[in-house]
Amino acid sequence: MRVDVRDLCARIHRTPILTDVSLCIEAGELFGLVGPNGSGKSTLMRCFAGLRRPSAGRILADGADLARMPGRARARRIALVEQQADTTDRLTVREAVELGRVPYLSPLRGWGAADAAAVADALAAVEMTGFATRHWHTLSGGERQRVHIARALAQSPDLLLLDEPTNHLDIRHQLSLMALVRDLPVTRVVALHDLNQAMICDRIGVLHQGRLVAAAPPDEVLDEGVLARVFGVAGTSHLDHDGSRRLCFSHAL
Amino acid sequence: MTMAVGAATVARARGLWLAPLILGLAILAGTAIGETRLPFATVLRTLANHLWDAGYPVDGIEAGIIWSYRLPRAIVAACCGAGLALTGVVLQALLRNPLADPYLMGLSAGASTGAVLVTVAGVGGGAISMSLGALAGALLAFGCVVALARAVSGGAGGGRATQAAAAIILAGIAGSQMFNALTAFTIARSANAEQARGIMFWLMGNLSGIRWEDVASCTLVSLVGVGLCLWHRRGLDAFSFGADSAASLGINVPALRGTLVTATAIMVGVLVSKVGAIGFVGLVVPHAMRFLVGTRHDRLVPASALAGAVFLVAADVISRVIVPGQVLPIGVVTALVGAPAFALILVRGARR
Repeated sequence: MRVDVRDLCARIHRTPILTDVSLCIEAGELFGLVGPNGSGKSTLMRCFAGLRRPSAGRILADGADLARMPGRARARRIALVEQQADTTDRLTVREAVELGRVPYLSPLRGWGAADAAAVADALAAVEMTGFATRHWHTLSGGERQRVHIARALAQSPDLLLLDEPTNHLDIRHQLSLMALVRDLPVTRVVALHDLNQAMICDRIGVLHQGRLVAAAPPDEVLDEGVLARVFGVAGTSHLDHDGSRRLCFSHAL
Repeated sequence: MTMAVGAATVARARGLWLAPLILGLAILAGTAIGETRLPFATVLRTLANHLWDAGYPVDGIEAGIIWSYRLPRAIVAACCGAGLALTGVVLQALLRNPLADPYLMGLSAGASTGAVLVTVAGVGGGAISMSLGALAGALLAFGCVVALARAVSGGAGGGRATQAAAAIILAGIAGSQMFNALTAFTIARSANAEQARGIMFWLMGNLSGIRWEDVASCTLVSLVGVGLCLWHRRGLDAFSFGADSAASLGINVPALRGTLVTATAIMVGVLVSKVGAIGFVGLVVPHAMRFLVGTRHDRLVPASALAGAVFLVAADVISRVIVPGQVLPIGVVTALVGAPAFALILVRGARR
């Protein structure tokens, strides 16, 4: 899905959170959103997901205004993986993933073969098929996050939003989750804290105090100037032996 | 896998047939058992006489007890049990709080206050019925609780859903304390000793005044409640991971919450005005049913309604026969059974 953001503003209790954000995300792209705490990443993600109405400006999803899209139609095209969504319900993994089919079901239209197939495909895509009958509360943090992604994929979305999906995961699960996200064949927008993880994105957008200060491939954006100005750290960018770029941080400025 | 799905479907279809049967047997038991011992044959004959003019000779007084007194009482008990269990299901799902129930949310307290103001203090001068007073009280209490919760959690906005759910329970406790105090105040001011005793009895749940004219409204609200919850079953499911998750699944969260919580308040208002504030059904029955049939609302809603109905009919029978010559308030029985059951649920939940 091609996403067009035009002069987007958002405010919470009259405090501006996002100011004049304009951005275009191409179909099939892996777009990273980075920025320090409170820079507006989560708010922008919530605007993308339709959970927050912008106070000004528009978001166009393949040319259609998101604000005018009914909830069910939106949920069939845009799926959100929240930071830490937990439940006290005794759900199985399959039941949690089946929630992704809610936008396709109505009170009178029951569960069908297409729904079962979508759930099976989603579980396979995150390599959790063998976990289908496990209970949610027995899963580790990394497994839970994979189930959330499977639930989002079961919505058969054209745009997948992930809000800091690697938060609170150990390093192995962080890397395997980012590898999974990198290979998904759908337009993705990922809010990230770890700048080195953002290096695998096709392009990244840097948010600073509610404004988008850059949107370009990570190699071009994350230089010493941006690290100092936006993130407030002294850091350098190195070329790794495999040709990828690595960031090293020395101290807070 | 296909076989497993097939077996589950067959089992569910069988359960579907079983439900009215269990309910019918419970109501029959509620009709047959009571303070006055009546032969079972007389019960069946009386029912046959009224249902299809069988024309069996039966004693007029016994027939009166069975048809005009016990049967409507058992039906209303079943409706109240189903309705109260459903309100628990709805509130626990929508507020993401395992302790949510009409009692804790102050709905029952508000309904009691409304009913007492109308009957004892004479508010409305006879123009307002007790049901209407209870309904107004329930809605007012809910409005107060929501307003207070919003003030506490700062607008109940967006990502603060969890905090809002905690706030609404605290607000509910404050609300029920206030409305209970208002009820006590009204009784102390306006009622004489005899009235006060009667009202205290009614407040703990009392089905002894139930006649046929009460059956229609109770049946209507509980059937509409079951239908509404089943209609919105997928919306209730979508709340598993919170309100934001439901919204991202395309659920219109404010509309669904508004509809179902208003329906809950109406159900509580009508039921409390008929039978008083019966606690623990809304809290315990949904939890017990989650253990038995899982958390999916397509099964949880009918299972809770059925279990609530059977539970309250049974509690009513126990309240009539446990102390010879005296009828206990039904709320005493539900609390005596419900509180240990709830403790068990908490302990098992903590252990898993």
